[in-house]
Amino acid sequence: MKRRGRGIACMWYPIGFTVAANPSAATVKVNEDGTATLLTGTVETGQGALTVLGQIAAEALGISTEDVHVVSGDTDTTPMDTGAIASRTTYVTGNAVRLAAEEACKILFDVAGPMLGVRPDQLEMRDRKIQVKNFPQRSLPLGEVAYHAQAVKGRPAIGSATWNPPTVPMDPETGQGKPFNTYVYATQIAEVDVDDETGEVEVIRIAAAHDCGTAINPMLVEGQIEGGIAMGIGLALQEEILFDSQGRQINPNLTNYIMPTSLDMPAIEVDIVDSYDPTGPFGAKGVGEPTSVPTAAAILNAIHDAVGVRITSLPATAEKVLAAIKAGPGREMKQLTAA
Amino acid sequence: MTVDTKLETPVDTQTMEQAVLEPATLRLPAVIPPVPFPIETLVPDSRQQTPAVGQRATRSDGRLHGLGQTKYIDDIVLPGMLYARIKRAGVASARIVRVDTSAAEAMPGVMAVLTGREIPVNSFGPSFQDQPVLADERVFHAGDGVAAVAAVTEQIAIEALEKIKVEYEPLPAVFDPVEAMKESAPKVHPPNSNIYATKVVKRGDLDRGFAESAHVFERQFRTQMVEHVPLEPHATLAEWDANGRVTLWTTLGRITLGRTDIARTLKMPVNRIRVVGTIVGGNFGGKNEITQEPVLALLSKKTGRPVKGVFSRREEFISSTTRHPFVMDYKTGVDKEGKIIARKVRLVLDGGAYCSWSETTLGKACILAPGPYNIDNVHVEAFVVYTNKTMTGAMRGFGAPQVCFAYESHMDDIAAALGIDPLEIRLRNVFDEGSISPTGQVLHSVVVRDSLLTAAERFGWREGRP
Repeated sequence: MKRRGRGIACMWYPIGFTVAANPSAATVKVNEDGTATLLTGTVETGQGALTVLGQIAAEALGISTEDVHVVSGDTDTTPMDTGAIASRTTYVTGNAVRLAAEEACKILFDVAGPMLGVRPDQLEMRDRKIQVKNFPQRSLPLGEVAYHAQAVKGRPAIGSATWNPPTVPMDPETGQGKPFNTYVYATQIAEVDVDDETGEVEVIRIAAAHDCGTAINPMLVEGQIEGGIAMGIGLALQEEILFDSQGRQINPNLTNYIMPTSLDMPAIEVDIVDSYDPTGPFGAKGVGEPTSVPTAAAILNAIHDAVGVRITSLPATAEKVLAAIKAGPGREMKQLTAA
Repeated sequence: MTVDTKLETPVDTQTMEQAVLEPATLRLPAVIPPVPFPIETLVPDSRQQTPAVGQRATRSDGRLHGLGQTKYIDDIVLPGMLYARIKRAGVASARIVRVDTSAAEAMPGVMAVLTGREIPVNSFGPSFQDQPVLADERVFHAGDGVAAVAAVTEQIAIEALEKIKVEYEPLPAVFDPVEAMKESAPKVHPPNSNIYATKVVKRGDLDRGFAESAHVFERQFRTQMVEHVPLEPHATLAEWDANGRVTLWTTLGRITLGRTDIARTLKMPVNRIRVVGTIVGGNFGGKNEITQEPVLALLSKKTGRPVKGVFSRREEFISSTTRHPFVMDYKTGVDKEGKIIARKVRLVLDGGAYCSWSETTLGKACILAPGPYNIDNVHVEAFVVYTNKTMTGAMRGFGAPQVCFAYESHMDDIAAALGIDPLEIRLRNVFDEGSISPTGQVLHSVVVRDSLLTAAERFGWREGRP
């Protein structure tokens, strides 16, 4: 019969490289009509990074996502970027984009100051306007200032910047150091059904509460979480590269390497935990990798809760679960007498 | 375009209109039907709002994906383009005695063959340059490339691979990471030790911590090797031009550092290489280093034609990086209330045949292994070892899913033994703002407690079983 169980797992995960420099550079060009172009050396690998970077540039310029066109991924034309790795794009490249946009803003404030009769540091960008802080009645359309900057003052609003997370090298003997500038946190809780006659595990639902600092785009965060959980289910229950005795893969194809499809996906209930990291762009950290970190742990704990067996090696295939049920619970568990 | 003879029959016996309506009469090549663009493209509200941050803005590439208009490398065809395929070793550990490419080169339609000896600097890797672009003297795992062919069709290239004869002298091999650590084990990269990187994180006094513990638990956990399985396999299109510049359209997720590696293997100045990162159909860490890029560049140079290479699904499995299998030994001491006093962890990572991103995976796994918990006495030691298997590298989580499986399974074991609710035992141990990590770092913006409570609330954990 099917037995239901639930399991919880939490985790922490760093953003960026371990100690090593992983800089990003960015260039923001404000066009003469107040729209903008962002140049970045990162690559869109399906996660929506370019949309998020566009939103960060737009936020810094007080314009909308649609107002920013993003040019990416060409070593001849875009500035260097460490790339789509280590959940670093929103945090590291995002900081570079924010700083580049602020450089462009400085030019626009210099130009707009005399036009509005105030000092440049009294100005802010909002709703496609440059306005006096705390006195929004006095404002100019961003496009008008950008045109004036380029065509009258001869100072096109272009900003470039780089950013690299500050770290402290780890002591080789003790590992003491500050390998990362920031971390994210998450919890996933899985509910499963385990068939105690076949060992088959079905994941019914997963509640996922993830921290990513400020969610620059909550829809894309949800997408990452759902995708990460799909990968986590494969790791937990199905996927495994097998080798013969000569070191050759036995199942290098999608017929014999079993992985989850949409039919294996549980109901996923996502929460984005309220959080703000002052070191990230507008409080953002990252979310790419951590989404698949706690899934397997939560599912394996749910299996234990359902049928009382602790599977200690992944994946928990039906064969393995059934063998463990037949062998009886708690066989490998070792509790030592306290010294 | 081929026109059926029926169309040429006189108009008096069959009208043109009838002929066109009959489906069998016109055989057109398969082309995507034209998409009529509206004069004004619909832009969703979410993309037009300010402030931009926090908006559920649709992706800028979403419309193209939805209409099937995204151009992946497989969709790109340049005039005169050739197709490349790579011959895989099929043996895990051997000395290459001889590579005979003459029969393949003689095949009609084969434009060039390339072996490892023709690559200017035949090694690369993000930490150690221990990986050949194409194996020349020695094969380190069964997925190693040993030769490449560029031909006018993909089918001819595949057939040509069969005609390449490689003579191997088998060498001893090791496949189990724990075996590979032994002094007596065959060396994967002689004379170097199979243990190619180690990492330690140590804080507090482990012995005193265990002595002060009310209960001590111990368990070994293991994880398997898995593939990233992106929808789009590794793909590259290379074009060498008459100025001696090469352009590579590629699925690389890290084009700046990829360009550095390509320049090194080709022994060329960086400014003569242009890498264009196309829209990638899934990366997950598997496309974070170069694979066939130098091979295609050199085949393009040899033939004076653009050369495209797209991995088969089989190559994606056997020759690209995978996730590290882990062997993890956990020993944890707790007090009567389930508060962790001491934790000792030993990690052995199966690095496969090459280092790739193993050093990074080792570092992250070692730092994260104790879990997001306040533990005063911690000792983690981690090793990554060579085996004659598919190399392991970057994959979503860099070792974190493996250690999370271990520390969270272990946590539930402890909770069950002490009769404490799994949520409760975590709340007693987790980091808070200002907690000190195992590497001595003061942590900020820590919300692991909030995430536990939020997920538990959403799940209905405290309401008990449904």
